[in-house]
Amino acid sequence: MALNGRDVISLTTDKLSADAVSESVTCASCGAISLFIGTTRDHFEGKKVVRLEYEAYVPMAELELRKICSDIRTKWQSVRHINIQHRLGVVPVTEASVIIGISSPHRSDSLEAVKFCIDTLKATVPIWKKEIYESGEPRWKENKECLWADGGKDPKC
Amino acid sequence: MNTEVSVLYFAKSAELTGLKSELITVSSNVTSVQLWQHLEEKHPRLAVLRDQVVLAVRQEYVPLSEQPLTLREGDEVAVIPPLSGG
Repeated sequence: MALNGRDVISLTTDKLSADAVSESVTCASCGAISLFIGTTRDHFEGKKVVRLEYEAYVPMAELELRKICSDIRTKWQSVRHINIQHRLGVVPVTEASVIIGISSPHRSDSLEAVKFCIDTLKATVPIWKKEIYESGEPRWKENKECLWADGGKDPKC
Repeated sequence: MNTEVSVLYFAKSAELTGLKSELITVSSNVTSVQLWQHLEEKHPRLAVLRDQVVLAVRQEYVPLSEQPLTLREGDEVAVIPPLSGG
């Protein structure tokens, strides 16, 4: 880990704040902070989405998020601070469900690490979202990144 | 030897069983596919997930296979439908 590098992971029903995440990964020796904000879209296959509901296997989700932080630090050794916030419970349309903030001295590491972080989160972290539509039955979504979403392949990644 | 483990249900599997968790007793060297079959026998509605589910045993993902699980008393097994975080 970079000297004094911090991993902050939070699963919370509170509204997420990009400012708070950005401030938490700020450091004097870092010239770059990269942020990803995942928000809820208002439509899926022509249906209007009124809200999302998220559920998690919390202890394992935290474990998998820590593994992602560790992998990031192995791949991009200059990364300084990492903050991953995922909201649980009801998330209204346009609000953030996930915010990832990563700082590094120069921009390419934090940019690449943020992409890796969200891509890996979608494939490995035990969190589920249900879309509630204006009309019709709610539906549990499936990430295409998840290896067992299309017929039961080996989940090891 | 039989062991008692807790099974946690999430997302669609919790809706299909109507449960968040339950205790079951199985052989300690049950395979993941046998454990799944045991759950399907108790809760037939789980069958729709059969090709799209993995388990998590002691918080590690385990696909449905012939590999024995080596369960210990009090272990936590979770039913993991396809993920949709992020």
